[in-house]
Amino acid sequence: MNAVALSEGTSTTRRPMLAMRGVSKTFGRVSVLNNVDLTLRGGEVHALLGENGAGKSTLMKVLFGIVTPEEGVIEIDTLGAVQVESPRHALSLGIGLVSQELSLVPQLDVAQNIFLGQTAGLDIVPRGRHREEAVEILKSLAPHLRVDTPVSKLGMADRQLVEISRTLARGGRIIAFDEPTSSLTPQERDGLFNVIRGLRNSGKAIIYISHRMDEIRAIADRFTVMRDGRVVATDSMKGYTDAQLNEMIAGRELSLAMEGRPPGLEREQAPLLELRGLCSERVQGVDLTVRPGEIVGLAGLVGSGRSAIMRAVFGVDALTAGEIRVGGAPVSIREPKDAMLAGVALIPEDRRGHAIVPMMTIEQNFGLANQKRFAWFGALRGAMRRAEARKYVSDLQIRPSAIVTPIANLSGGNQQKVVIARWLATGARVLMFDEPTRGIDVGAKTEIYALLRRLAAAGVAILVVSSELPELLLLSHRIGVVNRGRLTQMLDNGSHLNEDILMRHATAGSLS
Amino acid sequence: MIQDAAKPQALAPAAPRAAAINRDLFRQASVLIGCVALFAIFSVLTSSFYQPSNLIDIMLQSAINAIIAVGMTLVIITRGIDLSVGSIVGLSSMIASDLMSQNMVLGIVAGLVVGLVCGLVNGLVIAKLKLPDFIVTLGTLSVYRGAALIYTNGQPIYGLPEGFRAAFGGQLLGVPTPVLLAILVAALAFFLVRYTALGEQIIAVGGNEEAARLSGINIDRVKIIVYTLSGLLSSLAGFVLIARIGAAEPIGGNGFELQAIGAAVIGGASLFGGVGNPLGSLIGALTLGGLQNGLTLMNVPSFWQYVASGLVVILAVYADRLARPRR
Repeated sequence: MNAVALSEGTSTTRRPMLAMRGVSKTFGRVSVLNNVDLTLRGGEVHALLGENGAGKSTLMKVLFGIVTPEEGVIEIDTLGAVQVESPRHALSLGIGLVSQELSLVPQLDVAQNIFLGQTAGLDIVPRGRHREEAVEILKSLAPHLRVDTPVSKLGMADRQLVEISRTLARGGRIIAFDEPTSSLTPQERDGLFNVIRGLRNSGKAIIYISHRMDEIRAIADRFTVMRDGRVVATDSMKGYTDAQLNEMIAGRELSLAMEGRPPGLEREQAPLLELRGLCSERVQGVDLTVRPGEIVGLAGLVGSGRSAIMRAVFGVDALTAGEIRVGGAPVSIREPKDAMLAGVALIPEDRRGHAIVPMMTIEQNFGLANQKRFAWFGALRGAMRRAEARKYVSDLQIRPSAIVTPIANLSGGNQQKVVIARWLATGARVLMFDEPTRGIDVGAKTEIYALLRRLAAAGVAILVVSSELPELLLLSHRIGVVNRGRLTQMLDNGSHLNEDILMRHATAGSLS
Repeated sequence: MIQDAAKPQALAPAAPRAAAINRDLFRQASVLIGCVALFAIFSVLTSSFYQPSNLIDIMLQSAINAIIAVGMTLVIITRGIDLSVGSIVGLSSMIASDLMSQNMVLGIVAGLVVGLVCGLVNGLVIAKLKLPDFIVTLGTLSVYRGAALIYTNGQPIYGLPEGFRAAFGGQLLGVPTPVLLAILVAALAFFLVRYTALGEQIIAVGGNEEAARLSGINIDRVKIIVYTLSGLLSSLAGFVLIARIGAAEPIGGNGFELQAIGAAVIGGASLFGGVGNPLGSLIGALTLGGLQNGLTLMNVPSFWQYVASGLVVILAVYADRLARPRR
């Protein structure tokens, strides 16, 4: 069986199974994909590398028919040039995507999910046949799964297996994994890797996206590096060191900014933000202090409760126990408004969904958290607000600088700066950043890092959540590790600390 | 065509500003052009449409809808909907005309309070109980109508004070007071949306509710206010209705909700939230009024007019869908 699989794999290596050529896509003024090429052979695991916002996920969405590119062709060895019109169409072409947000229906069982969408119109669903076929597919992939278990009862790892099975049930030959391990334990991850290796050995072409270099090393045969929507390099993994790959990913410009650790800090000052036994639905007994001028990072797996701590402090999630002190005095925060009045700000992760109002201008978005101050008996004080907005636009180098520009026309980095300006204008003394550089290009990223350092130097207390550990190591004076809703470690940042140590703490105790 | 027009501008460095202003101007201009074009067509097709007396008639007929549509616009900007406006017209005008037989001012105040309370109840239920606006106001549409029927056991109330009829159905300097009222209400609402903090909060809630909440804006308060204003304006429109007829019927205002939503959407308000202009809704009401008047003059049976205005509303929503920039 292995021999057969191998021969199939080698026979297809001559001609790529998938070739994406000259793919370009812009959102508004922002070019997210610029003449991108990607070729994929059967029987290989191809790592797609790049920072957040480099365009990897958009490229995958193009491949899966979620996003329509302005230019470019997709060729499949058996079919020639194809136009992928929808995810449904992609599946029928043998393309599958396993992303962070899975497209499963929790109320249906495993077999129903695997064959979802395969029966058309009013045809009777052949339940029995589906179950038999599901059992067959699961036999090699995930023998521990029962076909009649509702997906809602499955953990993340098992759900991914169901998603993979669905792709295989459609005759999938090209399967893309978009950060599949971000919420898996090390054991679950090893299981997934075995599955991926099995798929590779049976001649499938695998695209693998991850930020973790050790994962890439463990699983990938070849790689393509993307930066700012372009392909920087594509080659075999052999012959490249991690450092070389990292340099390609970050670009020379950023690697300079990435150097060094945060400047020293006077530790004597009383904390500006103090959490005592903070509990919410997803946070259990967190004690934490942030002093003026200090940047504290929070590391942890996706879903570990990092962001939930911020949401609890900001009054988005209800507190079930514990105390929040700002500047030494206990405060009662029940909704974001209370947090705002207490001088606490949250710059959320999902900028488009949670931070900006797209039809409003830079000035209006800037003013949103300052409605009281910019109004006189309810009437807007336009001149005052304009003056202040212009001041921040020039101070934070927001581009374009015309404050009447609709915020939807700005790049991610500039939108983020407007949101930060909004909160600086409230006079907040405690700033919480949830993934501050997600979806932001390299240049803006460096600017945001510099801004965070400048704010800290001015005496603000800063809390940062990030999935990019190098970012935390660069910015933070101390790094807390969140694991299953608890703050399990608080580590002083220094040369002794590295990504591996943080990752070990973040996944500790997941054996059970 | 809209997307084509926006695209080349989006590439030039100074473009965003121009694109934004153009998009807003385009929206407002097309509202006005649509209205003028419709009036022009009917002026050609019939001999009586463009007569001053008929044009004043159209304004008079549109005034009631315009007043309701202004409140509806505020609700729609928050990405909500108020289906109960017609029933609030009925209930508030019944109670107002009943109490007016004792004291005119008492009747007016009571009518306005009834409208305000009806709207307040809508807002409270939607904001505090977190129920869908569509279902809540569909429910109160039935509740308020039922209350109006119960109030006089289904009987109409005749005989309204002359002063009341003159105030809400008469003329001032040759202009019908309902028209003046509609313009005043629309102008005030325009000022509210454009130049007040509350107006900006209304846009923010509809544009991105979560962003507004995380900016410390009191979402519940904004929602309660717009539904309350919608109720209040509905009762005001009810006054115009009964002042013109000279009697209050419990079924008064039946079906007004579609007219008001239509006027708001034709006037440029977006059911997807965050966009709307009360002055545009004024023109939207005029457009719908002109359409009905013109069809009547062309002897189109009134049953067909229902079909026509329903289709026009759906068409307007579709136009809005097309105008939305796609991701």
